[in-house]
Amino acid sequence: MTRLRRAGLAPDRGPLAVAAEGPGGLRLLALDPEARALGLRPGEPLGRVRARIGVPLQVHPADPESDRAALLRLCRWAEGYAPGVAPFGPAEAADGFYIDVAGASHLRGGEGPLVDDLAGRLARSKIPARIALADTPGGAFALAEYGTSDRVIVPPGGAAEPLRALPVEALRLDPGTVSGLRRLGLRRVGEVDALARGPLARRFGEALLLRLDQAMGRRPEPLAPLTEEAAYRAARGFLDPIGRQSDIVVTARLLMAEIAPRLEREGLGACALRLVLHRVDGVMRVLDLGLSRPERCPERVAALVSLRLDRLGAGLDAGFGFETVALTVTVTGALSARQTELGAAPQGDGIDALADALAQRLGRPLLRLGARASHIPERADHTLPWTLQCSDSASRKSRRAPSPVRERVGVRDQGSPERSHPSPGSLREQISPARERGPEPQPDSCESHSPWTRAPTSWPDHLPPRPLVLFPRGEAALDVLSTVPEGPPRRFRWRARIHAIVHAEGPERIAAEWWHAPGAARDYYRVECAAGRRLWLYRDGPHAPGRPAAWFVHGVFA
Amino acid sequence: MGLDPTNQTGRDPASGSPRERLAALRAHLAGPGGPAAPRPVLPLGLAGIDAHLPGGGLALGPPHEIAPMEPADAVAALGFVLALCAGRLARTRGAALIAAAPSQPLPHGHGLAGLGLDPARLLLLEGGSDAEVFRALEAALHARALPVLVGLLADGLPLKPGRRLQLAAEGGADGAAPPLLLILRPAEAGLPNGAATRWSIASAPAARDRFGTLDNPRWRARLERCRNGRGGDWLLEWDHAAHRLRLPEPLACDAAAAGRSRA
Repeated sequence: MTRLRRAGLAPDRGPLAVAAEGPGGLRLLALDPEARALGLRPGEPLGRVRARIGVPLQVHPADPESDRAALLRLCRWAEGYAPGVAPFGPAEAADGFYIDVAGASHLRGGEGPLVDDLAGRLARSKIPARIALADTPGGAFALAEYGTSDRVIVPPGGAAEPLRALPVEALRLDPGTVSGLRRLGLRRVGEVDALARGPLARRFGEALLLRLDQAMGRRPEPLAPLTEEAAYRAARGFLDPIGRQSDIVVTARLLMAEIAPRLEREGLGACALRLVLHRVDGVMRVLDLGLSRPERCPERVAALVSLRLDRLGAGLDAGFGFETVALTVTVTGALSARQTELGAAPQGDGIDALADALAQRLGRPLLRLGARASHIPERADHTLPWTLQCSDSASRKSRRAPSPVRERVGVRDQGSPERSHPSPGSLREQISPARERGPEPQPDSCESHSPWTRAPTSWPDHLPPRPLVLFPRGEAALDVLSTVPEGPPRRFRWRARIHAIVHAEGPERIAAEWWHAPGAARDYYRVECAAGRRLWLYRDGPHAPGRPAAWFVHGVFA
Repeated sequence: MGLDPTNQTGRDPASGSPRERLAALRAHLAGPGGPAAPRPVLPLGLAGIDAHLPGGGLALGPPHEIAPMEPADAVAALGFVLALCAGRLARTRGAALIAAAPSQPLPHGHGLAGLGLDPARLLLLEGGSDAEVFRALEAALHARALPVLVGLLADGLPLKPGRRLQLAAEGGADGAAPPLLLILRPAEAGLPNGAATRWSIASAPAARDRFGTLDNPRWRARLERCRNGRGGDWLLEWDHAAHRLRLPEPLACDAAAAGRSRA
């Protein structure tokens, strides 16, 4: 009624009624005060009413869904008073909502000012309301619906007395129980409460006692507050369950087409989507789709869903089919309107489309190489997930900080007997190579090791030649023949093959990063063996008397 | 009959010089649709090698198989592949995708500078198996977003995935040139397939600069198989500054270059 008036669908004056299909034709469902003044009552057949009164009556069809939506809007508004707001459910058989003001009333200066404020605002919005504040939801409902006044505030612990005077309908009972109680002459809550509980439960069931106890505060009644609803969601149910991949893809495209205008209005695009498939037997399949850039094009989303289903293959297990398909946008990103060109393929976004396709089809991210500020060779580069940020369109902000995927782990403590017991520092480094990524400040502030503080393409150009393939750990070269104390090796055995060196360059001395772990400096040599293969060797520390230092092959040149 | 010059008629292709006759015969063999449009190629910039390849270079689209001669030459073969990548990237925009099967060596970022390749133009994908690499390459061929695709395989290129890759390369006929598709496989994993060319690479002593230190890398490259072309065996040198391959001059002191180069 109020919704119709507020929406301008009904005139402000004149008797107004809402009718719905009931037993024996249309029956009145709700009436405005003017109609009530004519002696009309809810539940009367519309035909009889029209015959009885001589005044034109505005009749509108009932629309429970819009009523419910309007109530939810009001609940959202009421969350300004307290976070716990629950709309009336089917048990209450009325329009209204609970606000759990426990712990929140002092924000409005106490319970009295809070109720006054709420009533005042509702009245200014021309929403008629009856407000009751009591210890229990059941008590508050009863007082609001059947109380004597529009505004009731019951002091803590004092709800029982006013409740006893109310009719039994206030207990939120089903109509059969109410009429049964009335046949027994029990019209007031107090009369029911005074009876013995055992016979009452046997006669009317447990529900009556439950409602009575809930209203009186003897049993707790948890409220189901409104949950945060997903802003961008679309779902479709099927009378005939679907199981084929093409059907699911088409459905996903339709759902995205449903969501896209809403996203477009807000200037947003979807960065992550969740497709939920409800199987007939109640099993839920959840597919999470990530996108490398905000997107709202239904065709692209459908293509990604198709690729993902390709990868799942038989793992999807449609069984007897899916009866509901729901698509939710879980993460949004800003996406301004784009000018589309007719007939021209969009340039520049080919790689991100490919990255999305690979991520959906293989489940593997696209990587790129990143430089790190370290002169230890195995720490000088790493792989990062490819993001749009590192391509030429650098203006768009990436939504996640890149985190290293693969790290090269330290190589020391291998084959050198004097360090067979690794120090705690080097042990920690080997166990958790991610230590350097932490946000804690490093002692060497001039050489920050957190990779995202550096530009992604800051490759130094003054380095001596580096091998094309670098092994994560140096591989021991055995039977090394070299000049002592300094000098390149002459011949050695590596990978079951004797390498005779015809040319050597070096050494390039790379000191250990003492601020991470103690270690010996390595002397690197570039050598070329007789077959023309070029290797990168290092001697781990200087030779000691009687104990030559170990040699390692660390990389191969092209 | 038709090739006999004494028996010529007006429309007989057997007129003119042998070269013209050959061209006429080729046009005749190409069928009623006429010769297909020239396919885009990547010329290697060496007349001696390009003459061996149909169209004057590595055809863009069909897979090219590259293998080391011996297992120990795997990095040299990777260097040759990346040199071809750099040569293609120097002529076009975009990035190269390297899809690698597990345990295949990935390039070191700082080592790419030695080949003249910018690490920022390299995308990596670590596949879980050869099959995933094939699927990634196929998706990239369909997307037409990248000018160079490289697959590092563990078990070689079988016939069926090779055919699928070829079809995917021919598929997207929307005007964009197909990417250069290079397949690097281990030495022992030779399988019959439909690759356009098959190269076998071995490392060779590098060039020396005037101070006698190691300079540009050199490889012994053997073109083992080439559809509609001829095989060959060359010593190649990669000039990372000019992004081009060259044949080392057979200097008097350079026995390797003088003895093995045969163009």
